Amino acid sequence: MGERKDARDEEFQSFMIGRWPRLLRTAFLLTGEQHAAEDLVQTTLEQVFVAWRRVGSADDPEAYTRRVMINAHARRHRRKLKEFLAPKDDSGLVREVPDTGDRIAQADDRSALLRALAQLPPRQREAVVLRYWEDLTETQTAQAMGCSVGTVKSNAAKGIAKLRAIPGLADMVTQGGRN
Amino acid sequence: MSADRKNHDMTQAEADIALLLADATDGVEIGTAPVQAVLRGGRRRRTRRWAVATATAVVVLAGSAGATLAVTGLPGEHRAQVAHQVSDVTVPQVSELAHGTDQGKRWRVVLSVWAAPRDRAEAAEQLKAMRKFGIDGGALPRLDELVGKTSHYTGLYYGDEPLRPIMFDTVTKWEKLTGHELESAGVPLTEEDGEGANRLVVGMVASTARLVECTFDNGTSHFARPTTAAGSPVSWYVCLAPQGVRPKTAEVVK
Repeated sequence: MGERKDARDEEFQSFMIGRWPRLLRTAFLLTGEQHAAEDLVQTTLEQVFVAWRRVGSADDPEAYTRRVMINAHARRHRRKLKEFLAPKDDSGLVREVPDTGDRIAQADDRSALLRALAQLPPRQREAVVLRYWEDLTETQTAQAMGCSVGTVKSNAAKGIAKLRAIPGLADMVTQGGRN
Repeated sequence: MSADRKNHDMTQAEADIALLLADATDGVEIGTAPVQAVLRGGRRRRTRRWAVATATAVVVLAGSAGATLAVTGLPGEHRAQVAHQVSDVTVPQVSELAHGTDQGKRWRVVLSVWAAPRDRAEAAEQLKAMRKFGIDGGALPRLDELVGKTSHYTGLYYGDEPLRPIMFDTVTKWEKLTGHELESAGVPLTEEDGEGANRLVVGMVASTARLVECTFDNGTSHFARPTTAAGSPVSWYVCLAPQGVRPKTAEVVK
């Protein structure tokens, strides 16, 4: 029994070491800050470790880990005293068609994108990061966010529309490495 | 950009954002994975979880008695809640949070709370029951995520349309809300409302909350009285904006 537990711990450790860089990058996009990202990933992995006996033998421990991370991220933004259901900058943008043929200019520094991401509500930010950084399908994103595919579509479209509308981001000049 | 990018059909704008996101992650200092710190933290959590599980069992027993409550709701709308005690993981505890009539069609918001399956077999049965209940594929958790966790779904029935999910989660334990904290989700009441016109707002608040104020973009507001629901340690509120009006904020005011 002790040996099995040691083997499980080792398996978790190798999972953690292998996924650490990717999880940290995703967390960085979610939180916008290095220390907050490390904290989020560490909290996530602690929870995954607790459930590892079950998770490790499951088909897709990575999907489980993502779900835990998104939940942990959502929880940090959940404790609100006032919920803004329709932020001022929502008007007009939500009806914008995502693809009108023009191109988003590339940010010449990372802070422009991070500032833009920080202006998105948490659920839109999660949808954008999971869809366009993690490259998950809508269904996988819905599973990670614990919501319907329709909600993912809506949040991702709103997020993209808002990012495009932020002058600091849209004004950046498209660089060569865009293909 | 993610190394195994699948390049699903992206618009140019989406592809550009994907590249910008990838660029932004270049600035992350990766460092060494803090394995020992995570293992220590995980073991502490494990110990805490056992302590919480013991305490929760007592609370569940105390709160499991059936109840019938009548509460007030929106103008022109009636709210009632019927709760019944169940232990079967395939039979949710269902409470109606609000109902009303819109353009001659009846609508109902219901909360279903599903007990935690003990193993994969029970989880598989529960998944089947959830599908039968009307919870659609996008809202269903994975089988592996169900074991040992309770699920809750708020959904909308509008006219003869099938159940539409509003907010839902599968958790080891419910989020603890205190004071004036709240969590809300908005959806269009009907398809005609259009994208982004989330007239119907459903939210959870601390069980001590007595009044929630929803404000609308036409300058008016509505006060909703949170209601308890079977199997839920938090209370729930529902606000509905008039047609053509969008909700702006929701806040616990008492």
